Amino acid sequence: MKRKPQVCVEIEPDLVAAATGDADPGAVHRVEQHIDACGACRGEFHRYREIEGVMGALRRAPSEAESLSRALHGLESQLADLRSRLVSYRAFPSPLGRILIARSEHGVSLVEYLDSRNDLSTSRLRRIPGVELQEDGAEIEALYRELMEYLRGDRKRLEWPLDLRMARSDFHRAVLRATAAIPYGAVTSYAGIAAEIGRPSATRAVAQALRWNPLPIVVPCHRIIGTSGALTGYSGDKIGLKRELLAVEGIQAVGGRSDSRIARETLYHYERNDAHEYCLPTCGDIARRPIGPITLLSSRELANSMGLVPCSACRPDLHPLAV
Amino acid sequence: MMGAQPFETIVGAHHAEIYRYLRRVTSRPTEAEDLSQETFLRAYRAYRTLGPDANIRAWLFAIATNLSRNHFRSEKRRRVAHQAITVASRESEGDGPEDEARLGEARTLLETTVRGLPLKQRLAFVMRKIHDLDYDAIGRSLDCSAESARAHVFQALRKIRTSLNGHELPSGGVEKSPFSMERPR
Repeated sequence: MKRKPQVCVEIEPDLVAAATGDADPGAVHRVEQHIDACGACRGEFHRYREIEGVMGALRRAPSEAESLSRALHGLESQLADLRSRLVSYRAFPSPLGRILIARSEHGVSLVEYLDSRNDLSTSRLRRIPGVELQEDGAEIEALYRELMEYLRGDRKRLEWPLDLRMARSDFHRAVLRATAAIPYGAVTSYAGIAAEIGRPSATRAVAQALRWNPLPIVVPCHRIIGTSGALTGYSGDKIGLKRELLAVEGIQAVGGRSDSRIARETLYHYERNDAHEYCLPTCGDIARRPIGPITLLSSRELANSMGLVPCSACRPDLHPLAV
Repeated sequence: MMGAQPFETIVGAHHAEIYRYLRRVTSRPTEAEDLSQETFLRAYRAYRTLGPDANIRAWLFAIATNLSRNHFRSEKRRRVAHQAITVASRESEGDGPEDEARLGEARTLLETTVRGLPLKQRLAFVMRKIHDLDYDAIGRSLDCSAESARAHVFQALRKIRTSLNGHELPSGGVEKSPFSMERPR
C-alpha cells in the first residue's frame, strides 16, 4: 500500500473539519491551498462533503414520536412522585442547640432540635417512609437566617409556607393550624385550642398533638400552656427552651424547672366577649380564672392589632402595665 | 435559591432534544426512555444549586452523557445492544425514489456505524455533529479537554469514512459551497 505523503497526513484533521463545516477560517484556507495541488486529498475532501450531506439527513431524521411521548409521560409521573417525596434539609447551630430545618416543594416540613450528636441518626426524618433526603445549601440557609433573626427578637413573623404532611393525622394538622394562628406575644391554653377546633373535650389530645409538633418555633406550640398557667411540657423535657422562646416575645415565667408558670400579673387578659374588650390582670378575678378561654397578651399594641378594645371598667389604656 | 425558571420550563425546552440525543447513542427506544427520565430526575434534584447564568442545555447533555457512560460501562451489555441495532436497522430499510433510497441506505449505514463506535467517540460525534454542542461543552461532558473532544470527533469521522467505503453517496445539496462555514467553530 502506498504511503500517504507526510503533508497529507498532517493536514487530514483540518481537511475533515473543513469538509464537515467545523474548521476555523485559517484551517479552511490551508486546506483550500493543499487540495488545489493534491488530487488525492481533493477526492477525500469531496468524500467527506458527501458524508456531511448524509449527516444532514441524520439530523433531520424524525425520532420515534411514540417513544418520545412515552418518555415524556413517564418522566412527568416520575417527577411528580419525586417532587412529593424529596425533602431537603440542613442542620445548623443555634442559641437553642443544633437545629435541623427541612423543606419540601410545598413548604417547610420539619424543624427539629437535634441532640448533642451531630449526625441525623436520631432525626425524625429517618423515620418517615418514602422520603428522599437531600442535604441542601442556599434555600435552607435563608430560612435559617430568618430563624436566627426571630430568636434574637429582630423578627416577629416567620411567614413560611408550611408542609404539614409530617403531622400524624388530620386532627394533629387542625391543632397545628389553630396554634399557628396564635400571634407573637400571646399565650393561650391547650383547652383554648381544643375549643377553637371544635373539640372542647380533647385537651389531652391537643397536648399530645403539640408534643409531636413537627415545626416547633414556626408553629408556636410554646405559646400554648396549661389552664393553670403552668408551662407544662415542651418537646419532651425542654421546658427551659419554652421559657426562652416566650421571653423573646416579652412573656415572663416564674418558678423553678418543675413548677414554671406564666407570670399572669404581667400580662393583659382577653376572655372572649362580644365587645372584644381586653382587661388588666387586676380586673375582677380574671387573673385567677383558668386560662381555658383566656388569651394572655404581652402588650397593648398586640391587643390593638388583634382588633381588641380596652375594657371600660379596668381601663388598660389609662393604666398600662409597666413594661 | 430556587432555580431562575420553574423546572417544567426546563423539561419543556429540552426534553425532546435530550431524548433524541440518547436515542441516537443507544440501541433501543426503551433505553433512551429510561435514560432521559433519569437525566431529568437527576437534574431536578440538583437544579436549585445552579447559578443564574448556567448553560442548562450543556448541563443536561453532561448529565445524559454521564448516565450513558455508566449505562454502557459493561462491555457485555454493549455488545448485546449493538447486535440489537444491526437487526433493527436492517428492518427499517425502506424504498422510494432512487436518490432518496440511496440517501436512506447511507443514513442507515451511518447510524449503524455510529452506534458501533467506541463510546466516547460516539457521544462526542453525536453531540457535535447532530446537536451542535461546542467542544468545550463536549469536553466537560466527557471529562476531557476540548482538544480531546475534537480528536474524538475526528476519529469518529475517519471510521465513518472507512465504513462507507465503496458506497455511492448522493452528493446533491452540499456541493455548491464546499468551504462555507455551516457552523461556527
